[in-house]
Amino acid sequence: MELSVSILALGSTYALLAAGIVVIYKASRVVNFAHGELAIVGAYVFHSAGFLTGTSLTGLSLVATIAIAAAGSALFGILVYFALMRRLLGRPTFVAAMVTIGLAIILKAAIVVFFKSRSVGIPIGRQPLYNFAGGGRITWIELISILVCIATFAALAVFFQYTRLGRQFRGAAENPLLAAQRQVNINLILALAWSLAVFSAALAGVLFGSRSMLSPQSTIIGLSGLTAALVGGLDSLRGAAVGGLLVAAATYLTARLISPTLAETVPFLILLVVMSWRPWGLFGTVEELNRV
Amino acid sequence: MSKRKIIGMAFAVLAAGWLGSAAAQAQDYKIGYITDLSGPLAGSYTPTWQGFDLYTKALNDRGGVNGRKINVTIDDDGLRADRAVAAAKKQVESNEVLGIFGLSLSSTQAPVIAEMQKVGVPVVSTFSAILDALPPAKPDYFSTGVMFEVAGEAIGVLQKQIAPSGKVVGMTFDSVGGRAAIAHNKQTVEKEGYSWDEVLFPVRTADFTPFAQTAAGMSPAMVVGHYGAEQNIGVIAALRAAGYTGPYIIAAYGASEDTARQAAAQAGSGDNIYMVSRYAVPTDNAPGMADLLAAAKKYGIANPTSMHVTGWVLGMFAEEALKKCGADCTREGLDKAIQTVKLDTKGLTGGPIEMSADNHYGPTYWRLYHWEKDKLVGVGDWLKKTDLTFPVK
Repeated sequence: MELSVSILALGSTYALLAAGIVVIYKASRVVNFAHGELAIVGAYVFHSAGFLTGTSLTGLSLVATIAIAAAGSALFGILVYFALMRRLLGRPTFVAAMVTIGLAIILKAAIVVFFKSRSVGIPIGRQPLYNFAGGGRITWIELISILVCIATFAALAVFFQYTRLGRQFRGAAENPLLAAQRQVNINLILALAWSLAVFSAALAGVLFGSRSMLSPQSTIIGLSGLTAALVGGLDSLRGAAVGGLLVAAATYLTARLISPTLAETVPFLILLVVMSWRPWGLFGTVEELNRV
Repeated sequence: MSKRKIIGMAFAVLAAGWLGSAAAQAQDYKIGYITDLSGPLAGSYTPTWQGFDLYTKALNDRGGVNGRKINVTIDDDGLRADRAVAAAKKQVESNEVLGIFGLSLSSTQAPVIAEMQKVGVPVVSTFSAILDALPPAKPDYFSTGVMFEVAGEAIGVLQKQIAPSGKVVGMTFDSVGGRAAIAHNKQTVEKEGYSWDEVLFPVRTADFTPFAQTAAGMSPAMVVGHYGAEQNIGVIAALRAAGYTGPYIIAAYGASEDTARQAAAQAGSGDNIYMVSRYAVPTDNAPGMADLLAAAKKYGIANPTSMHVTGWVLGMFAEEALKKCGADCTREGLDKAIQTVKLDTKGLTGGPIEMSADNHYGPTYWRLYHWEKDKLVGVGDWLKKTDLTFPVK
């Protein structure tokens, strides 16, 4: 039971990361390689905001910290779009992907410069919620991680399925020029995409930091999020959720049943298998491939 | 006096001041320090550098050594071997240092030592030490730091003070140093009559939960963590969440009382947290601690830890070596002087640091500490290790 809870909690983090990657890809066909760094920087900002609002991170202090971090991450996403990505509209998508790699390097350096590479934790919800017979327990933060993930995916699903703006996302991704000619505000959509993506990344980072320690090395979770997005399908939110759970399950089960040292290898084996079999992911849109 | 004369005199005064300063600096002992100040282990190596820097500043305040001040050139290797080598070469060629101190992870040390052996520049590492310092010691390399093999054995002996029998689970990340520490810890505890199991995880692990659950599932009487501060904090919290509430020993490779404090906060309890350290913690009230605390206060280092003590002792070592080297110290002279150092550490470790021509590490002293409320308290006396019980083949 404890193992299942752990997989769900970690899978929720990876699913949130993958969701952000999917949102940007759905809007712009760009793969964001800076997602792990955005998540951890967002978590560090949350930790620092906690000191501004008080040190207890409970009650009003917690609400204020969440508000500051949420607003900050959303605004930062908009800033990233207008300062970096907007200029690359119309260019080959690999150029934008390279820019995100540069962004990742800069963000990691920012952690070193502004936060002095210190390892910090976010003291939220660590109290045990329930103790299992035979040892092990579920904590509040693990339950919160799962519930927040479900709520986020539900909100995103409603947005993309039932709102005009959500449908315009897909149009803008498939043919930005045509979408623009149809009076779709491309800049609004892409800025919103980046804002949502950075917000969900920061959310994932905070939930991760509440269960583990944050450090510059924590940005490695971005790789797991990207793996989850690729396995599930880069344009599928459902795929992001399933991919997140798959990667988490592979990590945990390998560590527990096979060998701990192989724990981070198996998810990539799964990625290789899925990509060989279904290059668009388990739930991604089947696309025509220009095979050589 | 004409304007031209006034300007000329002003330039002359400035030039004299610059030349005088340059001449004074030419009299200084020039040494180099290379370590990780921005990379993955900056959180551990930076306090060690700060401790060394505090000592040299305090020493210069007292007039330096042999009437000469110490001029330290500091460079950041970011935990990369190529940067460490580049920095070493720069310090030797441009900064004309007599010797290089500090260094970072063992993987960055070997290439630096190899380069410095070519030019006969002595290197003294702290924090991490490699086997080259043990007899028969390789030339130009010395260490006042923690050697994984020696530490693993020391911990294996000190563990008896916690529990006399049972299963010991060793945890480490999959690296050369980690495996070395685990191997020697294992051999020692098995000799003491314990059973052993181990959990290795990838170096870049972000979530320790599955590994902690694996370790907890082994029903250990004790768990020992052979890795840095960050990993200890994450693993302790994960172990407690996995239901293991027994003794956990932090092997102090870059860990300090801050590690125990953060681990206690992250885990929700500081019960059953221990640490084995080569150097004293500030709350030990060792005779030499007052000087360190005073210097820390003067130069704005808040809450010094045992990592600062590590660097401070290296500073003491450097002073002793330069004192023996004399006023006309050369690189060769410094190397010979270091081989004769017998340093009274004033209680900052369990005994003196002693070097010799054949042994560039010397006897080391280790102590077990227990986290009680908000500080580490020593358990028993210092353990002296003079050599490896299980020599490396």
